[in-house]
Amino acid sequence: MHRVIRLKRYEQPPQGYHEGFLREFHHRQRAELLKPSLSALLRERFSSLMSDFRVPAMAYAGAASVAVIAGVVILRQAPPTETPRAYSVSYSQAPVTIQKMQPVSLRGDASATTLPPNATFPPSYLLQARPASYESSLSF
Amino acid sequence: MTAELEIPPHNDQKLVARTQKGDPTAFDELVVRYSPRLYGLVYHMTSNHEDTNDLLQDVFAKAYRSICNFRGKSSFYTWMHSIAVNMTINFLKKRNRRQHPSMNDPDSRIENDPDFIAATSNGDPTREVTVHELQKKLNAAMQKLSHEHRVVVTMFDIQGMPHAEISKILGVSEGTVRSRLFYAHRQLQISLHEFKRN
Repeated sequence: MHRVIRLKRYEQPPQGYHEGFLREFHHRQRAELLKPSLSALLRERFSSLMSDFRVPAMAYAGAASVAVIAGVVILRQAPPTETPRAYSVSYSQAPVTIQKMQPVSLRGDASATTLPPNATFPPSYLLQARPASYESSLSF
Repeated sequence: MTAELEIPPHNDQKLVARTQKGDPTAFDELVVRYSPRLYGLVYHMTSNHEDTNDLLQDVFAKAYRSICNFRGKSSFYTWMHSIAVNMTINFLKKRNRRQHPSMNDPDSRIENDPDFIAATSNGDPTREVTVHELQKKLNAAMQKLSHEHRVVVTMFDIQGMPHAEISKILGVSEGTVRSRLFYAHRQLQISLHEFKRN
């Protein structure tokens, strides 16, 4: 197998190929030097564009006046800010008024809902019409 | 065969040093010296003359650009072959598989080669195959090999390089080179069974 494969060494390039190879190498090297890179091409285009560009007279003054006018317009259109008083008004609540006060018994006995005529208990008042279970555990 | 001539490495060092100092004519000498051998390496990998020419130009251009980084840890011969092998394998990975081969005509001296006579007639003049038929079959068999197997067959069987040199160029152990050769030869024997000697 080795000997059969070895016969491929007889496949040689056309006569004079290797002599011309060095010439082609030189030619390609020179072509490579002449071929500008993409970045160099862009830099050159930009610099030539900028060299042709001339700033007209009064251009800087015109640009400054446009900036001033734009600033004034923006400031005028800015929304009014809310004052601290407005917040205090919005957070104010109507004072709590107790419409009705009613005496109640603190004893849990249901049979004692109707008091005997001679009972003498000091009167107690429910000041808030809200059950205690609604209070959070951390409120004192 | 020019490609089989041994190249004295000591001369390479002087030429490399001159190139590194800015003498382009020294690199020209290296191109003249190495182009036949590297041509064979790339050509037998690609089976296409035009691709080989372009690749070889790129190989030398790359070598010229990076020769200042060559510190002489390996020989220039090994360094150049490594560049050529890596660039060729990268090229083959990108190349379309349907690419048609563009083969060079075999030298007319092949017909007098005893190995050719033995392989083509196999002792039976009635079943002789022509040079071009043999070339076509050899090429087809080579193209069936993987890139890694093809490169060791090219360097060992066609170019006659020793295992040690191949291992340096490919950056693998000699055992790996031998193993790749073993599997490549086995595959070639299947493809070229008709040329097997009795």
